[in-house]
Amino acid sequence: MHRNLGLAVVAVLAAAVLLGSTASAARPTARGAQEDPSADVNLTMWWWGEQEAAGAKNWLAQTIKLYEKKHPNISIKTVLQTTDGLIPAFKAAAAAKKGPDIQYFWGGIWSLDDAWLGNTKPVSDYIPRSELRHYLNAKEDTYAGKVWTAPWYVQPSFPVLYRKDVLAKARVKPPTTWAALLKACDALNAKGITPIAGGIKDGWFGGWLYSIIGAQGIGSISDVLDATTGKQKFTDPKHAAWWTRLQEMRDHKCWNDDMNSLELYQGQQRWAQGKAAMTVAAGSDVKKFVQQVGVAKAGVMAMPRWGNGPYAGRLGSTSQTVGITAWTKYPQESADFIRFMHTPERMAAWFNTTGAFPADDRFNTKLIKLPQQKILFNLVKNGAPYLENFIPTELDSKANFAESQLLLGGSIDAKEAASATEKIAQRIRLTQRKQMANFKIWAQSYK
Amino acid sequence: MTSGTVALSDPRRRRLRLGRVEPLVWIAPALAVVVFVFGYSMFQLVRTSLRFEGHWTTDNFRITWSDPTFRTALTHNIRLLIAVPVLVLLSLLLSILLFEGLRGWRFHRWALFLPYVLAIPVIGVVFGQLLQFNGLVNQFLRAVGLGGIAQDWLGQPRWALWTMTAVIVWRELGFGIVLFLARLLSVPSDVFEAGRMDGARFFRLHRRITIPQLSGVIVFYVIVEAITMVSWVFNYVYVMTNGQGGPGDATQVTELYIYQTAFQYQSPEIASAAAVMLFGVTLVLIAIFFRVQRSSGVGLDE
Repeated sequence: MHRNLGLAVVAVLAAAVLLGSTASAARPTARGAQEDPSADVNLTMWWWGEQEAAGAKNWLAQTIKLYEKKHPNISIKTVLQTTDGLIPAFKAAAAAKKGPDIQYFWGGIWSLDDAWLGNTKPVSDYIPRSELRHYLNAKEDTYAGKVWTAPWYVQPSFPVLYRKDVLAKARVKPPTTWAALLKACDALNAKGITPIAGGIKDGWFGGWLYSIIGAQGIGSISDVLDATTGKQKFTDPKHAAWWTRLQEMRDHKCWNDDMNSLELYQGQQRWAQGKAAMTVAAGSDVKKFVQQVGVAKAGVMAMPRWGNGPYAGRLGSTSQTVGITAWTKYPQESADFIRFMHTPERMAAWFNTTGAFPADDRFNTKLIKLPQQKILFNLVKNGAPYLENFIPTELDSKANFAESQLLLGGSIDAKEAASATEKIAQRIRLTQRKQMANFKIWAQSYK
Repeated sequence: MTSGTVALSDPRRRRLRLGRVEPLVWIAPALAVVVFVFGYSMFQLVRTSLRFEGHWTTDNFRITWSDPTFRTALTHNIRLLIAVPVLVLLSLLLSILLFEGLRGWRFHRWALFLPYVLAIPVIGVVFGQLLQFNGLVNQFLRAVGLGGIAQDWLGQPRWALWTMTAVIVWRELGFGIVLFLARLLSVPSDVFEAGRMDGARFFRLHRRITIPQLSGVIVFYVIVEAITMVSWVFNYVYVMTNGQGGPGDATQVTELYIYQTAFQYQSPEIASAAAVMLFGVTLVLIAIFFRVQRSSGVGLDE
């Protein structure tokens, strides 16, 4: 009896200890009931973006105020998410089928992953095609003929910012080729100047580097989708070459020595403080940085060119999006608010407040006055697909984030990084069979 | 003479005795609550771990076990167990020093316990800043001519887990000290006086008297901390590595693996299989605790 009782207590205690990490894995299936849409409508929007488009919070508050004035029965509550919390928070909400009505998504796989999991409704079911065709970069959020999330603002991904005053100290010109970049790193180091400031502790920068360096070696987006599904390999030269470029940057001490200690935004601040000659920033953030250091001192360009592929020397272009959740009781109202975000007056206000380009071809480009933004706009007009949006997020995190940390920290070399990436991809092909099937279908639309 | 004795001698009470099942009756309300709260979760967890695309299978366990990241995470949890004896020894030493009336012991007790009441995210952020490659710790080392030992404490795979272990020890130490000190203060002073009169000095006194007196709480502390290292270090890792378990997978632990797999990579089946395995390990640790407690006759009631 005592023995059985003891075992029962043991089991109960162990269950209590593990509740936090275990209960989460199950998928409840409760769904909200349809309600009368003419009644009071309370919408919740989980979003992100203030981090890369300063002023977005004010703009959103103002937009909601105007919208609520126009629609007195609708009220919208917003929750600004952290960078690290944006995805897990939504996944948890999706598991409970309870949470926001409108959710922020980065483009491509970040949007489609949740579409495939049934967590979102296609926006093209609620926003007319005649309206959607104006939204920029919607192709990357399109699957099976439907647009799943609606582009909000364009993210030029990702320009190199340089400080003319700091480069001048070492008599270095802004490098436009890879060889010139490595030479610039040597020259700047000789003067005791950090060539490029970055932070990779939180991993995100690994995905950026993969995209802006890796894109130059591939022939098309379907190469990336094929490597994901196993038709090609991440150890193939065109996919693996970027690791070699990254190792070259490491070997030429192009980065700040504490890169592994700093988060993405902390690294960029080093540049703003004049402690580095260059950095890589979100295009939506260019205005903020330029104003911080002074218009005369800042320059903007694409990542120096090393490859001969169609995307070499071009800036990536993606759009940050908003989607309608599968469990919302008010999909049409949510869609209507998204359309309101694209009205000319709101787009102009968005650009004036944040300096980020609205993802809409009806945006009045005459509003662009800052020289650096004009350069950026011209770069993004001829933009290339943004690579990170076309690989599984798990691969991005486990390979690009993690292996970049190890390579830049000096623990592994380019060959090991490429080999690790392929091994991780192989495992994902095994464990994420549904996702791989979707990738194969998605790849067809890029052939 | 106790009220219990009176009750047992009361014939009306004697009729209420239910023999071997009586203990179960007494704990039934609490058990019902626990089963109600955890039962469904556990059932779903095990069920999910045995399902894939609508079929029953044990593949999820095989796939999880074959994942190098999962094995790395498990290895790191085991490596973190090294902190347990360190915690016990340090807690023991410091609590004895405080018990012995170390000058300013009230302040020291407060200072040592303070980390334990600090929120883990606060600790994570503060140490994350302090331990940067150009952070305060390294700045100090360089200033005193010890720049050679300055490291990227959390940014280098070689150091990251050990650094995190040190932070965990720093915080968890306070719990051990307060636990041991509370027990020491409840031991009648004449026990120690008798020892001293018999000629026992510091080392002998505490080896022969203090440690045996503390054995119950030491066992308790060891088990609690072992469980912490196996299944409660998520907060530390998440905050100090921005949810990555990096650099690379240098600080990956099982809980973070479960969290990432379930919520970032959308593989609830694999996450559940990993959680069931972690549950098994925790179950073993708790069973060991009860076994040791029973066989040694030590317990918290001492």
